[in-house]
Amino acid sequence: MRTLLERIAAFFRRRELDRELDQELAVHLDLATEDNIRRGLSREEARREALIRFGGVEAAREHHRDARGLPWLDSVLQDIRYALRTLRRDAGFTVVAVLILALGIGANTAVFSLSNVFMFRPLPVKDADRLTVVAVQGKADSDPGEVSYLDYLDYQSHSSAVFTGMTGYVLNIVGIGYRGHADRLLVSYVPSNFFSMLGIRPALGRLINPGEGDAPKTGPVVVLGHSYWERRFGGDPGVIGRTVSLDGAAVTVIGVVPKEFLGLYNLIEMDGYAPVGMLGFGSSSGIFTSRESHEMRVLATLRPGVSIAQAQAALNVVGQRLAQEYPHADQGQRVRLFSEPAARPEPAAADSKPLVVTVFLLMVGLVLVVACLNVANLLLARAAAREKEISIRAAIGAGRRRLLRQLLTESMLLALAGGVGGAIIGNSIGYVMNGLRPLGDLPLRLAFTFDWRVFSYVAGVALLAGILAGLAPAWRISRTDLNLALREGGRGLIGESRRHWLRNGLVIVQVAGSLILLVAAGLFTRSLSRAESIDLGFDPRNVLNVSLDPGLQGYTQPRAEALCRELLRRTQTLPGVRSASFAYSIPLGYYSNGAPAIYTEAQTVSPATQVPGASLNAVGPDYFTTLRMRILEGRAFTDSDTAASEPVAIVNQTMAERLWPHRDAIGQRFSYKAAAGPFATVVGVAHDAKTTGLLEAPGMFFYVPQTQHYQSTRVLQVRTSVPPESLAPAVEGLLRELDPNLPVYEVMSMDKALQGANGFFLFKVGASFAGALGGLGLLLAVVGVYGVVSYSASRRRHEIGIRMALGAQRGGIFGLVIGQAVVLLGFGIALGVAAALGVNQLLASLLVGVSSYDPVTFVGVSGILAASALIACFIPAHRAARVDPMTALRDE
Amino acid sequence: MANQKLDLLQGTLDVMVLQTLHAIGPLHGYGIARRIEQVSGDRVLLNQGTIYASLVRLQQRGWIAAEWGASDNNRKAKFYSITRQGRKQLAADAAHWQRISDVMGRVLAMTGEERQ
Repeated sequence: MRTLLERIAAFFRRRELDRELDQELAVHLDLATEDNIRRGLSREEARREALIRFGGVEAAREHHRDARGLPWLDSVLQDIRYALRTLRRDAGFTVVAVLILALGIGANTAVFSLSNVFMFRPLPVKDADRLTVVAVQGKADSDPGEVSYLDYLDYQSHSSAVFTGMTGYVLNIVGIGYRGHADRLLVSYVPSNFFSMLGIRPALGRLINPGEGDAPKTGPVVVLGHSYWERRFGGDPGVIGRTVSLDGAAVTVIGVVPKEFLGLYNLIEMDGYAPVGMLGFGSSSGIFTSRESHEMRVLATLRPGVSIAQAQAALNVVGQRLAQEYPHADQGQRVRLFSEPAARPEPAAADSKPLVVTVFLLMVGLVLVVACLNVANLLLARAAAREKEISIRAAIGAGRRRLLRQLLTESMLLALAGGVGGAIIGNSIGYVMNGLRPLGDLPLRLAFTFDWRVFSYVAGVALLAGILAGLAPAWRISRTDLNLALREGGRGLIGESRRHWLRNGLVIVQVAGSLILLVAAGLFTRSLSRAESIDLGFDPRNVLNVSLDPGLQGYTQPRAEALCRELLRRTQTLPGVRSASFAYSIPLGYYSNGAPAIYTEAQTVSPATQVPGASLNAVGPDYFTTLRMRILEGRAFTDSDTAASEPVAIVNQTMAERLWPHRDAIGQRFSYKAAAGPFATVVGVAHDAKTTGLLEAPGMFFYVPQTQHYQSTRVLQVRTSVPPESLAPAVEGLLRELDPNLPVYEVMSMDKALQGANGFFLFKVGASFAGALGGLGLLLAVVGVYGVVSYSASRRRHEIGIRMALGAQRGGIFGLVIGQAVVLLGFGIALGVAAALGVNQLLASLLVGVSSYDPVTFVGVSGILAASALIACFIPAHRAARVDPMTALRDE
Repeated sequence: MANQKLDLLQGTLDVMVLQTLHAIGPLHGYGIARRIEQVSGDRVLLNQGTIYASLVRLQQRGWIAAEWGASDNNRKAKFYSITRQGRKQLAADAAHWQRISDVMGRVLAMTGEERQ
């Protein structure tokens, strides 16, 4: 131990120690010389004799250094210095290699950062490693999701054996008004144990006290999200104690959460937190009375030492008891427990997310492998060119291991630089993704950060890349025949093809890897275009959406309805407007109304086998005309459907067939509120439209007149004969005339709105991401093939010269070079197609309307790959064909 | 051949250096090398330069100490002396070598008898 410390110390003091040693050795030689003179030798002889007896000053120095310091570190530093020198000399090669590695590592960093957000990084809360998500799965609705508040209370009070605490939140979009201006914000309604269980301390003021606002219509307070506090109140500490309006109710601002706490919904930062009791005022007031009102996202902290399976078993017991006690609401319901990271962002994603993440990690992994092969090939080409240098070093005594280490040092340095570049690229991608807004005006907060997980991942990937890229050339060197290399000067005809099989093999694997990436990219792209051509059941073209919520400004129902009527009337008279209508929500938007259960008046469905819920939309009379949704039977709503008239509804085909099979739905009555009514009469059947998800089979959906189902939030939809967004200023102007303070939001065309999270967003992201990786793969494959072909053409200059001297035609030489490319591509593509067919199964469930064996994709991408690579190879082929035989033969 | 020189066994040089410093007291590198050659009757094949690797090794283990001082001809030279820890080590090494040479002597003697 002591020796090791001394050695480390010596390593850092090596200059000083070297100087001392030199002095010591000089004295030694002087003393020996003087002794020899005394013995009668001449000065010259004496000196010579002393040197002989000493036995090599340089060797003594080396021995001394080895004995005192850290010889391996010395030589590593030497290797690094040498490698830096070589890399600097070959700046072009270095830049290309680093760039290739940086792209490969960058893609990996980006995907890993994303997986980190979705799967790994713990929330900044107490006992995050033991945090779990409780979700329930209905019998018809197969995705695990929110729990009803009343069930949550039961689960909470009967599971204290396995959990130290259970809390939750209800996500709601509300208006927070302050001094005449209202913002539409995302708020978590929370039980009073929320902050204490998560161990959150206020950045300012206080948080919600125990018991505060747990009862309906109590707890008129709000805790602000940190960003919102900074954005809206300029970070003013004086905000504490002020009164703001929360969906029209006056509440007091009591505190601000710390900056790092974004709430528990991983994608979006909460703007505020209010007690659940405040939900008693709004449209969600049903949570206190109905077990069918599934609104609560529930989290629980496991007791130390309790496994998920044990806790799941305990929850099952409570679930069974609830099913017995409340068969109507809870029978057939299954409770499920996930670790918190597995349930991000929604428990519904828990089952499919690992597959998606695996597919993308595999894809970027493949990009990295292709990038490494590329760099390996570049290194091989360079190693071949440096064969003579390396042979000389070996001949003067550099050990083979030392040579290998030297080469690996070079590739590691490249990978290190590539890693730095990759981290920068990956972070930039993350930065761009942070700015994506698939949820309309609600900012997505992916909160990419470069934490230690990402750092270790990048470092690991870079290390792997360095080894992968350096392995082939190192292996090659270790088999170099010294004598042959020195004699031939690294160039010759004999054995040329044999010596190139490694490089050719690497290129073939590279082409195959790129082909797999391209196939995936092609499949995702085709899948997107299929998704975009899906029959939505409505026509999104030429529709402008303008959302507003008079409730935010404290409008009462009559005033809000009067305002909307007037706005609609004026809008319909605007030039360029064909028709216009209000609706509560837009199809495939990020919020919609749901009815937990449907009751038919004639009890065609018995309560025991209770019909699952349906989704609904409250719409105006011209809704179906405006969206061009077809009414198959009956009528659309009219102006005579009012609050005073008989309640009516229009159901979609699926609902009509489910509730009244083989019967005419028109005239039937059902309730979405309670078994005893009130009932609405079906007056029309609408064509099934995609309303909640692009891929979902159509579910039960119905429409009610807005006059009979008041909600202050609404969206004005305008069908235009001109580009829809060009009418936006005019519509906004009309609203300003009516009320200058009322904010509008999500003013955009329906086409654009469809790019949201429930629309094409994921397809777009998936397709563009896969496309980017495919493009990267293509680029790398082309560079790889080009590199090998042009390199081997340049090495065959001499041979080509001879061929031409013997009468070969330029066309023949051109074909000779292209022929090599064709062979490489042929093998590579064949191998790639075989491999892609093998692994494509993974993708099948992520594709829409296209088979994972889609022949068009396979043929198409193979063609693209072959064509681009061949075009690139025209350059070396052309160059080879222009070789002047005389020059080539003279150039010995 | 009568003037055949002995190649040093690994580790023996360290013991010789310790013994020399123990017997004679503080010496510089050249002095130690000369003394070993003289004592061995010039039978040891010593590249004098190798002594410096041995000296730094012993110093790092704390068995000898070094100090700059003036040589006979008034040059600045590094003088080495054995430490207390070094003496302990020397005693152990000496016993070890004694045993080896003892055993080797006996074994080699036995081989001679059997041949007859």
